[in-house]
Amino acid sequence: MRPYLTTAHRYRWLLGAVLAIIWGAGIVAAYTEYATTFESEATIWVLRASPELATTSPDDPNATVIQTAASQQADLLNQLLQTKEFLRDVVRQTSLRAALAAAPDETKFLAGVQKSFRVQTHGNNLLTVSFAAHDPPLGPEMVNAILAVRADRVAQASTTFTTITNTLYQKQLQVAQAQALDAQRALDEFDASHPGALSDIEQHLKDQLRLTLDYAQIRLGDLRGRINQAALAPAILSVSGMEFQVVDQPQVETSPRGGTRSAAMIGAVAIAAGCALAALLVVIGTLLPAHVSGPADVSRLAPARLFAAVPRVTRAGGGASPGDLRTSLAAIAFADGGARNGEVSG
Amino acid sequence: MSAPASLMATFDGLASRVDAMGFRTIGFTSALLGEGVSTLALGTALSLAAMRRGSVLLVDANWIHPSLTRDARLESSVGLAELLADRADAAACIRRYAPSRVAFLPLGDGMGARPTLRGLASFVAKEAVSFETVIVDLPPVLAGETFVLPWAALVDQLFVVLREGATPLPLIQQALGKLSLAAPPYIVLNRARGSSVDVPAALLAARA
Repeated sequence: MRPYLTTAHRYRWLLGAVLAIIWGAGIVAAYTEYATTFESEATIWVLRASPELATTSPDDPNATVIQTAASQQADLLNQLLQTKEFLRDVVRQTSLRAALAAAPDETKFLAGVQKSFRVQTHGNNLLTVSFAAHDPPLGPEMVNAILAVRADRVAQASTTFTTITNTLYQKQLQVAQAQALDAQRALDEFDASHPGALSDIEQHLKDQLRLTLDYAQIRLGDLRGRINQAALAPAILSVSGMEFQVVDQPQVETSPRGGTRSAAMIGAVAIAAGCALAALLVVIGTLLPAHVSGPADVSRLAPARLFAAVPRVTRAGGGASPGDLRTSLAAIAFADGGARNGEVSG
Repeated sequence: MSAPASLMATFDGLASRVDAMGFRTIGFTSALLGEGVSTLALGTALSLAAMRRGSVLLVDANWIHPSLTRDARLESSVGLAELLADRADAAACIRRYAPSRVAFLPLGDGMGARPTLRGLASFVAKEAVSFETVIVDLPPVLAGETFVLPWAALVDQLFVVLREGATPLPLIQQALGKLSLAAPPYIVLNRARGSSVDVPAALLAARA
């Protein structure tokens, strides 16, 4: 631990500068994010449709499941927000349509739009849909657009299912009508063939035929009722609008709102990044072998002391590289000017 | 200034300090190979020979990398190893070069004998005494501690050479720890980018 602390102390000004730059930039970015974010919100009251009016398809988004009405609608909106087609339809209804058309990467653009939406439930029947943007008028525009596109999608799905259900019931009605006619015809034929008094067996047969006819007519009536209900229920729901009421319309916000979370995230990331970078610098500074970078650094070798510094020999300054220097010195020192072993000359 | 004078001027600062301190026998070592120890020993020998106008004995005691012996092309000659083993006398081993006033004692057959404190003390007391200055080129401490320590006890001053901006500090500290002399060694900073040493101050500090 001590070497790391020593390194941190040695590079304290560098670390301070790094932290100041990263933290400063983070704080500025966080404040800018907070000050330029305007979140617009719609509050919606939702009710579950009456079972008499509810459609029966399990795939219908309006189908009754074990959920609160608010969470059901919030889930529906969140699921729709996962699809590019839905987002594209939403954006096309707003002033962002030009930006979407000009975007080089549509997927990235739509992902950014998706992240700006937030759907939250508040109890069993209340939910809010919000959109955070740097442009204040864009928020209500986007919230209104998502609600409109959702309404279109739900209505379209309901109509499609009603048509399918109606077709099915019509087929069943045709079969039931044929069965009723057959039963009536069989009873008429029996009556025509047995004009007189009927024996017990014959009376039993006639009762069976009459029972069959009654059953066919009851089924016919039931199917007619279902066909009427299937045709009327969506219209009644659509007209009443009770199951999805926008209580508070989205407004153009005049003061910053909704940017606290993202600003806090930016600030936290900046602080964490600054700490991580500083720690990395300390670790690298400690683990990398330190060098004596100049005469002043020799004090780190105490009690050994600096005696002299021999300058670097360069081609420009000294006319020779270190290799040349050694060769030249050897040539000077060991120049054999006629010297012999053990004899001093000159 | 002539080319040789210009080259030797590189070592004048170091030599003048050695001269000022009155050191007669000095040794150069380092922590690692390649720090420029032999070059410094050679340059300082030349510079001191010119400065003191006396004879300078340069001893190649680098049992690991006897580069000075190779520079003098005396690989096959008898030298220090034979002198310590009493297989040759000093007159046969020491080469004297009149133009440079530098006498050179090559390593000889390094496998023949190892330096001992007694042998080296005898050499310094008898053979080297006729020279005004004796400069010893030693191997790196970390690689050849046994070759360095006997000399460290005998020379007036031991210098540890390190390269500015290159020699790892922990290794230098390790080498200094191995030396553990009564008098701490001096550091010679080689290949310094700019000589920022205040000469008078350094001399005063060295004498203190």
